[in-house]
Amino acid sequence: MLYPENTRQLEAIIQKARETKTPLVAVSSRGPHLHGASENPNAETVDFSRMNRIIKIDRRSRYVRVEPGVTFDMLIPEVRAAGMRLNIPFLPRAGKSVVASALEREAVLIPKYQYDYTDPLLTVEAVFGTGDAFRTGSAAGPGTPEETRADMVVPWGPGCIDYLRFFSGAQGTMGFVTWATLKTEVLPALTKLYFVQAESAEKLTRLASILLKRRIPDECVILSRADFAGAFAMSAEEEEKLLKALAPWTMICRVSGFDRYPEERVSIYEGYLKDECAQAGLEAVTELGGLPGLAEKVESMIADCDRRETYWKMRRGGVRQIDMLAPPSRAPRLIEILENLRCPGDFGITVQPQVQGMAFRIECSVYFSGAPEEAGQVDKALEDAARELYEAGAYFDRPYGSLSKLAYAADPVSTEAMRKLKKIFDPDNILNPGKLCF
Amino acid sequence: MALSAQAYRELAAIVGERYISSKQHILAGNRVRTPEIPFDYHSADAILLPGSTEEVAAIVKVCNKYGICFVPFISGTLPDAYANRAGTVLIHLKRMNRILEINEEDRYAVVEPGVRHVQLYPEVRKRGLSYTAASVGPGGSVLANFTSTSGDHHTQYGSSRSNRYLLAVEMVTPEGEIIRTGSLQGGCGWFCPDGPGPSLRSIIKGYFGSHGQLGIITKAAVALDACKGPAEIRTEGVSPHHRVYFDSDLSRVYVFNYDNIQNVCQAMLALGEAEVCSTVQKYFYLPLTLLMSDSANDFWKKWTSGYKEAMSMPLVVHIAAQSVREREYEEKILFDVVRETGGKRLPEELENWWTEHMDYFMVVSRLQSVLRLGGGWMPIKLGADSVQHICDVGESIGEYIYEFTETGKIFDAPENYQIIPMEYGHFAHIELLFMWDRTNPAAMKGVAEFRARSREEDLRRHFHAEDVGCLNPTLLQLGPLYSNCHIWMQKIKESFDPNNVANPML
Repeated sequence: MLYPENTRQLEAIIQKARETKTPLVAVSSRGPHLHGASENPNAETVDFSRMNRIIKIDRRSRYVRVEPGVTFDMLIPEVRAAGMRLNIPFLPRAGKSVVASALEREAVLIPKYQYDYTDPLLTVEAVFGTGDAFRTGSAAGPGTPEETRADMVVPWGPGCIDYLRFFSGAQGTMGFVTWATLKTEVLPALTKLYFVQAESAEKLTRLASILLKRRIPDECVILSRADFAGAFAMSAEEEEKLLKALAPWTMICRVSGFDRYPEERVSIYEGYLKDECAQAGLEAVTELGGLPGLAEKVESMIADCDRRETYWKMRRGGVRQIDMLAPPSRAPRLIEILENLRCPGDFGITVQPQVQGMAFRIECSVYFSGAPEEAGQVDKALEDAARELYEAGAYFDRPYGSLSKLAYAADPVSTEAMRKLKKIFDPDNILNPGKLCF
Repeated sequence: MALSAQAYRELAAIVGERYISSKQHILAGNRVRTPEIPFDYHSADAILLPGSTEEVAAIVKVCNKYGICFVPFISGTLPDAYANRAGTVLIHLKRMNRILEINEEDRYAVVEPGVRHVQLYPEVRKRGLSYTAASVGPGGSVLANFTSTSGDHHTQYGSSRSNRYLLAVEMVTPEGEIIRTGSLQGGCGWFCPDGPGPSLRSIIKGYFGSHGQLGIITKAAVALDACKGPAEIRTEGVSPHHRVYFDSDLSRVYVFNYDNIQNVCQAMLALGEAEVCSTVQKYFYLPLTLLMSDSANDFWKKWTSGYKEAMSMPLVVHIAAQSVREREYEEKILFDVVRETGGKRLPEELENWWTEHMDYFMVVSRLQSVLRLGGGWMPIKLGADSVQHICDVGESIGEYIYEFTETGKIFDAPENYQIIPMEYGHFAHIELLFMWDRTNPAAMKGVAEFRARSREEDLRRHFHAEDVGCLNPTLLQLGPLYSNCHIWMQKIKESFDPNNVANPML
């Protein structure tokens, strides 16, 4: 294991690895590692846990700059203390690296703030597989980060290349990121949480699409009964109670007011929310049965990471996941396929509108004991499901493990173009080899 | 170098004799036509009009075979869209002008390069949708604005720059291969620009486009937003004396003048934090007075009779709400912010111009009137960063521009820059537009001096006031200051264009 403390050390590590032809894999989150991107048996691990500085929190221009070892449990309170909030995934692991999460294009909870799929990631400094450091977007220059007077927040460029997109979704195959700038938003002065329940996911995806097109809610996520219960129950007993009380699907959404006239904004936006629900034949309610104080608990939990001793997705001992993107028109069919999944253990589905409702990230998690024989069966079931999902139009935009074969099979010419780029930035193929199409 | 007869025959076999020409009178009409460009441009050896992606790919393969350079061409508003050396053909994409799909549910449109804003915008508007149509006028190519130019737009405060809305694309590489990006690469349609894994989208457009140096984009999907304003638009009169109205209680335009850019900055940030208003922009007063004028004489009359002072630093605000109540709520916050930051509302006769020209907030139909004076003009800086940083850049202009405005080297309009915030004040873009007397042969020297001085001042201050462009001599000069990006761009260019035929500029 190698533990760089700064960019210079990382450059030296990569240059040395080039000389010795030693493959490297980066890890920046604390375990458990659910997707396997940071595990590579053929590579030496570069652990970023010592690069854990919060470099800057800027309230005026609304951003943070952090090193990859900064985790959600560290950053969320600091950002909140500055009067801001991060656009975080749904109940992320406390020990998950904030930078890794953004690089992996993990779904975020407030899609109205997301203008494209890389949002809230703005700029990064990274070291390519050549051993050269580079900064993206308006962090590129002029001059060094110490010299520039820019806030280094604009994601595009420098020049006619969108370098940020080489690192996004790359599973550390193009370069290792040494810091990242992420967008933050103003902490609302007032919020109101709503639940919308439905028998079918389709009703809720259609509703979410309309709400997001009008940019009505802040947080917006759709959960199957199993995922809602698993996420918010504090014990097996509570989970059981929730499973009995909940409809098959629940959408959680929240409207906000800011410093100026917050009550008025909340009132206007909850009016829009209720109107759209009524038109869809649904009802937005502020309370749910099943557990006392559930609404308060949900509201507090969705603004934070999962601080429980055992991460909620690991409550059965093991978890396997498959996730995909779909446009609104295709999401219901893909969810239907997942609802018919046959495998050991139980499973939940989380559906998150992204990019102002222009797509959904659909994530299916299978919860099982963790026993190896069960794991094999679950993997097989998910592989079979993946083929069916792919046929139905699922887009595996961040393909982990065996999914990469499916994802890259459709267009060999474009895949070859991707390999050309890899060769430029990692000519010796030392960064996380064997992942993706490299 | 004229094309060899054999090369010409092979190119003609691809598009047909009707769609290729090397006749001098045809080529003459397709030479660079921006008169203030101070150097000679070559004529292309031939011009081709392909009708499909496959034809473009076949042309590119022939170009590689014979070492012929090629330049893709559509709107022709940039000098890079013309031949810059002998042995070049222009690939004019105007026949590829189909709107291939407007998907209302998934909110995107797929277009070919020849589709103009005047084609696409009305089609999406009548479906209750809209997009960030770059401020180039109705004749601009939608695809070029999203993929090749900066694509900045007056309304990007409440939305964003075109970069954010470019979805999957299809592109012919410099060697003639057809590649696809994002979900299209994954075989899943047009909706997503990214992945699988890292994105080929990275070589389609950075801050600017590659101007054909990394390939020719033949189809692109652009994301569509909800329409801000009524679907029905009332018009009166005949262009250029027409009026465009939004008859709606949900729409209001207000314009305030400021005397200090830092106060403008504060107003932009405060409105952004409250997430109110659809458009917030510090506009430039010289083009604004030109837009308001019916003739050059009319301009001079207005400019010298108070318009310059009344609109020296105008903050233009468009509220496009979803209900009257929301509009009133946004107005309340707007007036609070303006009061706190020292803005003064424009006189009614000036402010009313905006409500009569609501095309400004869609596709600016009067844009060409800013050229009415007939002089030379040039936009510079064009960079983006935080609102605060960009306002600091704007503030610094006053420290060196007077040497040029007061000596007549450039038009006397020292505050003539615009700042457009994006994503509710997360970023902002700056454009400093200066004009000069094109009939004065000595003027070009002053223009070159001012351009160089502006860059020098920004570099000295370490301002990110401009970004670098595609692979050209300026990139080689500035690249070392911008993370050595020139080295990486050269490597990418060499890898994708080993014969260096795709619009080479070095």
